[in-house]
Amino acid sequence: MFTETRLTQGVRLYVRRTEQFKTLTFSIRFKQPLTAEGASERAVLANILEDSTEAYPSRSALRQALEGMYGTLYYTDVGKRGGYHYLSVNAECVDDRLIRDEDITDWTVRLLADAVLRPNLEDGVFKQQIFEREKQTVLERVRSIYDDKTRYAQQRLLTLMRPDGPESIRATGEEVFLEALTPEKVMEAYRRMTSEDEIEIYVVGAVDEEAITASLKEAFRFEGRVPAVQPEKADRGTGREGRVSEKQNMKQGKLHIGFSTPVMFGTADFPKMQLANGIFGGFPHSKLFMNVREKESMAYYAASSYLSRYGLITVSAGIDADLADKATKLIDEQLAAMRAGEITDTELSQTKAMLANQLREALDSSRGQIEIFDQYKDLPGGFTPEGWIAKWEPVTADDIREMAGKIDRQLVYLLSGKEESADEKA
Amino acid sequence: MKKLEYSRVNETLYHETLPNGLQVFILPKSGFSKTYVSFTTRYGSIDNIFIPLGKQEMVRVPDGIAHFLEHKMFEKEDGDVFQKFGMNGASANAFTSFTRTAYLFSATENLYPNTELLLDFVQAPYFTEETVEKEKGIIGQEITMYDDLPDWRAYFGTIENLYREHPVKIDIAGTVESISRITADHLYECYHTFYHPSNMLVFAVGAVDPEEMMSFIRDNQAAKTFDQPERIVRQFPQEKMEAAVKEGSLEMDVSKPKVHVGIKLPALADEGLEGLKQELAYQIMIDLLYGKTSKFYTEAYEEGLIDESFSTDFTAEEGFAFSVIGSDSAEPEKLAQKIRDTLEWASEKFPFGQDDLDRQRRRRIGFFMRALNSVEYIANQFTRYAFNGMNLFDTVTALEALEVKDLQDVLVPLTDEKARTVFTVKPPANGK
Repeated sequence: MFTETRLTQGVRLYVRRTEQFKTLTFSIRFKQPLTAEGASERAVLANILEDSTEAYPSRSALRQALEGMYGTLYYTDVGKRGGYHYLSVNAECVDDRLIRDEDITDWTVRLLADAVLRPNLEDGVFKQQIFEREKQTVLERVRSIYDDKTRYAQQRLLTLMRPDGPESIRATGEEVFLEALTPEKVMEAYRRMTSEDEIEIYVVGAVDEEAITASLKEAFRFEGRVPAVQPEKADRGTGREGRVSEKQNMKQGKLHIGFSTPVMFGTADFPKMQLANGIFGGFPHSKLFMNVREKESMAYYAASSYLSRYGLITVSAGIDADLADKATKLIDEQLAAMRAGEITDTELSQTKAMLANQLREALDSSRGQIEIFDQYKDLPGGFTPEGWIAKWEPVTADDIREMAGKIDRQLVYLLSGKEESADEKA
Repeated sequence: MKKLEYSRVNETLYHETLPNGLQVFILPKSGFSKTYVSFTTRYGSIDNIFIPLGKQEMVRVPDGIAHFLEHKMFEKEDGDVFQKFGMNGASANAFTSFTRTAYLFSATENLYPNTELLLDFVQAPYFTEETVEKEKGIIGQEITMYDDLPDWRAYFGTIENLYREHPVKIDIAGTVESISRITADHLYECYHTFYHPSNMLVFAVGAVDPEEMMSFIRDNQAAKTFDQPERIVRQFPQEKMEAAVKEGSLEMDVSKPKVHVGIKLPALADEGLEGLKQELAYQIMIDLLYGKTSKFYTEAYEEGLIDESFSTDFTAEEGFAFSVIGSDSAEPEKLAQKIRDTLEWASEKFPFGQDDLDRQRRRRIGFFMRALNSVEYIANQFTRYAFNGMNLFDTVTALEALEVKDLQDVLVPLTDEKARTVFTVKPPANGK
């Protein structure tokens, strides 16, 4: 899919030349082992890098320049995958050929290099005022999860199940570490990021591969580096088991159930487990949707997700809290049915077709191409979409039965309304 | 079949109106693996008073019925339509807005079986009292889910306060009470009135051969019989431009208050290019007042009055238009005041010039080009514009025709003090 070029040790460039889009998409990803403190530093760093640069030293100056460049998108982001944290610096600009009067691509490459290499500093550190404001912004983002009860419940489930693992660390950091940050600490995180992190640069669009490679190489000139590796933890942590119920002022009950599985990303069983999750609750034809929603009318949504990097499957459903036990039982029954081998040929072929469609469809956006390739590229044997789809093809009902046997319920978490709101129910 | 070339954006659109009145548009996109096909009726949550097909008298149907009908279309005598799309590897969905109900799928295989399934399931209603009753549990949970979403409540609370009677003030899904009154007969009545092909539009975009697809849809429709089309008579209340309620609030379990300023606006004056120009003028004016490079945004962000949740919205459909501006804010009164002050400041002496317009114009042209990467955007927005008598592909032409005068014109209704409301979602007074 992508042409790979090693720019220097620890820095790789991936280019995909395509006429599919009217824009060029750039993403520069900095990768380091995930810790709560590091994530906090980098979440604020990402915001500071998005605010301004040396050349455009205020938020409005930078944003005005972007507007003038036909609304070139420029943003930073943080995320996590397995035991690693990612800070990405991204841009998307209109293909020059559609506009004619400007050299937008060159401008965008220069902007990205400015953002990464020539930030907006004062006496060698980030400006106090910008730092304070962005720290506040990240703190507010972290706190606002409280307002989104579904996300809050999912985060609580992960924290309860894996209190010490990367599963429960948020990519945007944690309040206690964010509060303790200083401009100097974030500056130090910036230095480490640019000199020590593993870097992957992605470009998608109608580019000349050689020209863009030369221009990025010239613009960035990163030094070689030996990326840090997250030590494998043998102990997966001892989180809570059984049931936990918590109350907030709300109407709907948020039922989140966590299952653990030894089948991880990249193992031989991984494609089979993707299918098993799809049959369990991944699609509108799945067992959860058909039984919890359609047959029992208990929920608007009832779905499962496979967090393959963490060996977890989580189920979430929005229900009337009084029916939590009934819903839990119903969800258990779906898994029990799978363990008993109750998987029809229809379910199996639907799920294969849907997974294949989902993968091919995701590749119809430039960001999707980058995300999917980046996720799968290090698998043994490399990655092509059709190659991966071929791995689902031979999976049988018997394989699914076996996979279902490797999914163990660990924790049932229910977030629901306080007693006094019970009379509001219709 | 008509072929329409849009050379500025490098796209070719194919169009035909079928004998039964159905509008079909096809836009092939090279390099795409998927095809996105939507089948939309010009019928949404606001269409609650109308003369049913073949009748003489106006009826009023329960709130939330268009959305309820959308859910029920997926259930047939022989099972669930999602199952069939699943067999064909297509991901199917539907949504209901104020003025439209859309059914759609996207697929990378089995394009024609999926297209047939889409056309056939939307054109074969099947409702029984039993299945209608069963759906009430599911939609009841959907409504309850939205009840717990503070951003949704703040947005709808604002619209609700802007309007005295217009049904845009009613939540699209209705209430648990209103949907309890829905019967299978209601659904058939709405279906027969609003799902006539002459009130509908098909858009296919992505990996598709226009000749083949057109002839497939043509044959599919020719094999079905429909009543003669009748003009649909809907009734909407007259609204004054004044906001119904000036101020409102709601307590919810949130970490920080949310405040929204709503502005009730006159519906767009024209269709076609003029209408599109006016809509873009509103959008650009709102960006100049509140966008990321505005004086307001720069100050409010630095003062900590707004955060990343800050947003502006402009909605215009036939018969109504409004704008909502808001954010999470520790100081909701101060923020609401600043949003209002910005309007006073702009109306005293028009603060923007040709440079500002040129920059926003460029930004919008770029935004439009980028949006054309998305097949979903193309189908949904094209359909929306078509139902409002406009053409999505006129966007660049309309942007290039805009003058500073057009911005000045739309500032007048935006700054009408009587047309405003402020709505706040507050954490409980006694703490969490």
